[in-house]
Amino acid sequence: MSGLASRNWLRAVVLAALLATVFAADTATDFEIAAPVFYVAVVLLAVRWLPTYGVVALSALCIALTIMSFAFTRSGAHTAGLINGGISISAIVLVTYLGIRMLDAEAATHVARAQLTRIARVSSLGVLTTSIAHEVNQPLTAVVTSGEAALRWLGQDPPNLDKARRAIERANSDANRASDVIVRIRGLAKGEPPHKSWVDLNDAVVEAVGLAQAEINRNDVTLRMNLADDLPLVLADKIQVQQVIGNLVLNALEAMQGASSPTLNLVVSTVRTPSDEALVAVADSGVGLPQDALEQLFDACWTTKKGGIGMGLTISRSIVEAHDGRIWAIPNSPSGAIFQFTLPAGSEVST
Amino acid sequence: MIQEVPEVAGEPRTVFVIDDDSSVREALVDLLGSVGLDAQAFASPRAFMSARRPDRPSCLVLDIRMPGANGLDFQRELIGLNILIPLIFISGHADIQMSVRAMKDGAIEFLTKPFRDQDLLDAINEGLNRDAARRREAEAISDLRARFDALDDRDQAIMAQVVQGHLNKQIAATFGLSEITIKVRRARIMRRMNARSLSDLVRMTERLRLYQ
Repeated sequence: MSGLASRNWLRAVVLAALLATVFAADTATDFEIAAPVFYVAVVLLAVRWLPTYGVVALSALCIALTIMSFAFTRSGAHTAGLINGGISISAIVLVTYLGIRMLDAEAATHVARAQLTRIARVSSLGVLTTSIAHEVNQPLTAVVTSGEAALRWLGQDPPNLDKARRAIERANSDANRASDVIVRIRGLAKGEPPHKSWVDLNDAVVEAVGLAQAEINRNDVTLRMNLADDLPLVLADKIQVQQVIGNLVLNALEAMQGASSPTLNLVVSTVRTPSDEALVAVADSGVGLPQDALEQLFDACWTTKKGGIGMGLTISRSIVEAHDGRIWAIPNSPSGAIFQFTLPAGSEVST
Repeated sequence: MIQEVPEVAGEPRTVFVIDDDSSVREALVDLLGSVGLDAQAFASPRAFMSARRPDRPSCLVLDIRMPGANGLDFQRELIGLNILIPLIFISGHADIQMSVRAMKDGAIEFLTKPFRDQDLLDAINEGLNRDAARRREAEAISDLRARFDALDDRDQAIMAQVVQGHLNKQIAATFGLSEITIKVRRARIMRRMNARSLSDLVRMTERLRLYQ
């Protein structure tokens, strides 16, 4: 902290010293010498060190100093001084303008890079799922095979107890290995400290759904969005929340792949609940869920999907609960399911 | 040519397993051991290729996804090298395209992990039987070929005439020999080829031609 303060001090001193030097030189020398162009160096330094308004203020100061020097200078041709002063002021204005443009461009690059990272993270969820499937499947295969081997050793006449015991021990340790993988994934989902900021869930929904747009079109699904105007802002990790939304949308699309209804409808809505929470709901017209499934949906590795491993909803639940929210599913009418989650409104008044 | 051959008691057979996961390898070898099958496991296709493998009926159980090698490409490599070992694929992620390609290239079975042990054992049994039958067939052919090659040129030529249905008289005329000589040579050919009848000899000729 003190290091930062002393560095700011140092910068202010350097800028002030430079200003004073240029001013002194400008005032002491003849009109014919265009000393004030050296204010450009001060402005260039300021672009690196000061926020935009600081740069503008400093450049205004430079112009004021140029005019003051012009008034104080005693020697030289007056006309030349006027022209040199004009050139110097133009240079200062131009450099200020270009410097600020450069800052904006850098900021835009930064935003674009952040967006790219987010997209990469959202789409890496699919890749992650595949590799998790493989990692869990291997020990599981070993468990099942060892179990069957144990049964066969036991079924022999006389039963080979020693071999059976060893097979069961192996199955045991492989089962633990599978569970370690799950623990590791859980850690992955919540281990990263959330970067919380004020998030407009409507924006988050629009962006996350936008990422799934190609998939929505490909599945011939009609998308409708009902976004509430009075949605409270939430304090959340936007990327994590978008992963949840993206996951629910992709789930909904998958649920509709097996549906027989003529039109496939996906409705994504946001609502302000009576208790002032923000609610996001993803409704599909897919095959729906049996009543008893609704309760185990979010348990690890529970899935109705043939190729699924049931991690998506578990990760989603981890994320939502880390934000003090709730996630649950209800049947949609006439068919399909609605997956929804709430996030508590931030403690500050929303705009 | 390949027919179901009942398992011959006491004939040694080996099941090879390639999987990069040591737990899966161990479990598979143990399962096969529990039903009395000899099994050898390898961590990679490379290890399998560089190992000395016993020359006996065998089949290969392998994961389709392995580090540094794709099971399907390895299958083609084996075919290219004329290593005709029956393959059984096991895969963590079922993919229709993959299984179709594997089966088209002659795999016995394509199982999804985790699989039912009976499904695997059935596939292995079929693979071993096919390999045993193929080996027996190949052995019979090479035996036949050796017997045929042991005949002198004149006898080989006479045999060609015989199986085309020419009479002794015609063959004698063709070669400028007496009919009695042909008769004697013909009996010798039948004996040396180990043929019980003319139709037997015809069938042998067909097999020789087929496997030239």
